[in-house]
Amino acid sequence: MNNQTEEKKSLTKSELYDKHYKTILTIPVIIMVLSLAYLAYFYSQNGDIMLKDISLSGGSTITIQGDIDSNAIESAIKSQFPDLSIRKLTDIGTGKSLALILETSAQPDEIKPALEKYLGYKLTDENSSFEFTGPSLSESFYKQLLIALLISFILMSIVVFFSFKTFIPSLAVIFAAFSDIVMPLALIDFLGIKISAAGISAFLMLIGYSVDTDILLTSRALRKKGGNLNQRIFGAFKTGSFMTLTALIAVLPAFFIISGLPDSFRQIFFILALGLFADLINTWLTNASIIKWYCVKRRIE
Amino acid sequence: MIKLSWKLWLLIIILLSSALILFPNFEKGVVIKSVDQNSTAYEEGLRTGMIIKSINSESINNFEDYTKIMNSVFPSEKINPSSINKIIQKTDLNSSTQNKISSNPVNNSSKNTTFQKTKELPKNKTKLIINTKDSEFLLYTNEPPKITIENIQKTKIKTGLDLSGGARALVKPEVRVSQSELKDLITITSNRLNAFGISDVSVRSVSDLSGNNFMLVEVAGATPSDLKELVSKQGKFEAKIGNETVFVGGEQDITYVARTGEQSGIYSCDTVSQGEYCNFRFVISLSEASAKRHASITNKIGINSTNPQYLDKQLDLYLDGKLVESLYIGKDLKGSETTQIMISGSGQGANREDAYNNALNNMKQLQTVLITGSLPYKLEIVKLDTISPSLGKEFARNIIYLALIVFLGVSIILFIKYQKIKITLAVILTMFSEAFITLAIAALIKWNLDAPSIAGIIAGMGTGVNDQIVILDESVSNRETNLKERIKSAFFVIMTAFLLIIAAMIPLFWAGAGMLKGFALTTIIGVSVGILVTRPAFADIVRMILKD
Repeated sequence: MNNQTEEKKSLTKSELYDKHYKTILTIPVIIMVLSLAYLAYFYSQNGDIMLKDISLSGGSTITIQGDIDSNAIESAIKSQFPDLSIRKLTDIGTGKSLALILETSAQPDEIKPALEKYLGYKLTDENSSFEFTGPSLSESFYKQLLIALLISFILMSIVVFFSFKTFIPSLAVIFAAFSDIVMPLALIDFLGIKISAAGISAFLMLIGYSVDTDILLTSRALRKKGGNLNQRIFGAFKTGSFMTLTALIAVLPAFFIISGLPDSFRQIFFILALGLFADLINTWLTNASIIKWYCVKRRIE
Repeated sequence: MIKLSWKLWLLIIILLSSALILFPNFEKGVVIKSVDQNSTAYEEGLRTGMIIKSINSESINNFEDYTKIMNSVFPSEKINPSSINKIIQKTDLNSSTQNKISSNPVNNSSKNTTFQKTKELPKNKTKLIINTKDSEFLLYTNEPPKITIENIQKTKIKTGLDLSGGARALVKPEVRVSQSELKDLITITSNRLNAFGISDVSVRSVSDLSGNNFMLVEVAGATPSDLKELVSKQGKFEAKIGNETVFVGGEQDITYVARTGEQSGIYSCDTVSQGEYCNFRFVISLSEASAKRHASITNKIGINSTNPQYLDKQLDLYLDGKLVESLYIGKDLKGSETTQIMISGSGQGANREDAYNNALNNMKQLQTVLITGSLPYKLEIVKLDTISPSLGKEFARNIIYLALIVFLGVSIILFIKYQKIKITLAVILTMFSEAFITLAIAALIKWNLDAPSIAGIIAGMGTGVNDQIVILDESVSNRETNLKERIKSAFFVIMTAFLLIIAAMIPLFWAGAGMLKGFALTTIIGVSVGILVTRPAFADIVRMILKD
């Protein structure tokens, strides 16, 4: 009895899907068009596709340990270093202020005396950290990481084509991977977050990390065994969405639970998390609809 | 009795060897990190890596024990720079510059008298019996052995600079250099850092996607304040009379540089209007060729008319093209083949301690470039990070918490989904194994785990769980085909996902001078361990659980 109703429900679900899978495709297409349009607008405004942090634009990051009043320090030395930005690093567990992070395009030697004068003590390697990246290096860092991203994408495409050996399904997977990068990037730009070198490497990882659900979907849909096409797609959805959920559980705590972590670390996980959310859309709305369409045309039941 | 498949045995064996790699010893004692090569400790045979078990038959379990014994055996060994003015002769700045006799001949009788002692040493030597793991060393000394020691590491896991503290400098030559030129640069820089007394340092070459070669200098632990000077200075030292070069830095012209004892040290400190001023001097030996050069050049110079004790021209010392000191030349040195020369200089500071330390640093830097010679080109520090050890510790602790939260979170969600304790445990154990084996491999290849590397391990754990979910779901659903075939199709997904991660991460090995290599490395190790070892074993475990 129970089984029968379930079958009936799934049948109606299946019918609904048969009717609307092409309509569903419009949702991700709209998001994608908006994202690309925003990126184009952003590029016209900023001359680049992302805001770069100190590690990619050159300058110093100074971490001063202890509970220091960030507003007071800002008003004291902002006039000398107009591009100074200050953040607090707090331990969410205890709520205690761990350190102050200052970023400026100035060299450590330039800002150190001003800070020491304000604080009234010397900054040593016991109470502070200094990270400096020269402008020439950061520029080549940025260029190379973008090249790496491109190589990564090309290698991924090759692996996908090699695995499926069919054109449209491979292209669908590659398009999903592309969207997995574009959507988070547009959101990050929109939020005004500056991307670090580690952040770009997270995008690289996203390429490898997010497409496994697309692989699962495509391989199950194209395999003619194990139920009809919709059942196979729904089965893949069940497995794949759970995969993404566990992956999200693995990457989200880094951003939301603990804040006393290196910035590079947190940004990697933040970008992976955004990418995984985007992947839910791109795999189960975009890729699934395309593969369904493809199978219907090819009469793969 | 459950029969285990060979895949499971393989996993067990690899896990055990990983445990051996990560936790090789439970030994007590302290390990010698470095030994000064000009010390009694070195002569007696103490070497880096030896494990000290006891000193004077008191057992040593850790760093604290060692310091305690050293403090009780040598109670007065603390050198206080601010007390230096009590021992050294006070000299007036003006008169000291005028009286500065800089080049003096190797006249053994006069040598000792020209040097003032900077430190009074106790006459009686103390006996130290040092027992290491395998043997016993006897030291008669009046100061603590010149060794640095540290606690025996409980694990072989090494953390990177961002988690353990230290300094990192990425240095780019201003001209394009070949691999072999870079090798020379690395040798000179390593020598320099060693001559300066920085022991825990790694200097290596890195290159990036555009074919640029860099030198990467990494110093663990406390950051030497002069790192920037030491690695970026070309260190071109020239001693000139007029515009003729007498000698330059490096072993070709300079055969010996005194760095310890009475031939080297700070000899006077003075108060000037802006603060304090300390003077240093040390003796160097010249090669025969340079001594001859000295003779022929000084032969041509006359006696100074206003100051008849000295020659008319001075010996000018240039460091990187900048005049750092001009030394008067005594008149009896005219035309002589002097092989020993006293070099002097000074350091300034707001107070006596600063002045003393600056003078000491300037002296060490000068000695360093005299020993190692100059670099053939200028260098630019393109990246310089100094990370506080205490902040790094905070980060490391939080990362461990994070890993625990991730484990817990994933376990809970798996249990909610599968409702089976056995399956949940199998997934968790596999996830743990992967992280554990990855750590062991990182330790084996002596990779320093920085924050991106650990991010890679956690992300790798995430993909590992994904793969296991694929195996599980394939195993329990689609009853049309047999289990073996279903697992085979699961492996198609897993294999493709594996290749994809590798493809995506490979470019990071080179991009950005390998600064993010750790992220790629641990991810690739993690997924490879997964595909080769843990996933096949996990599939077997699932088969066993499902058969029950």
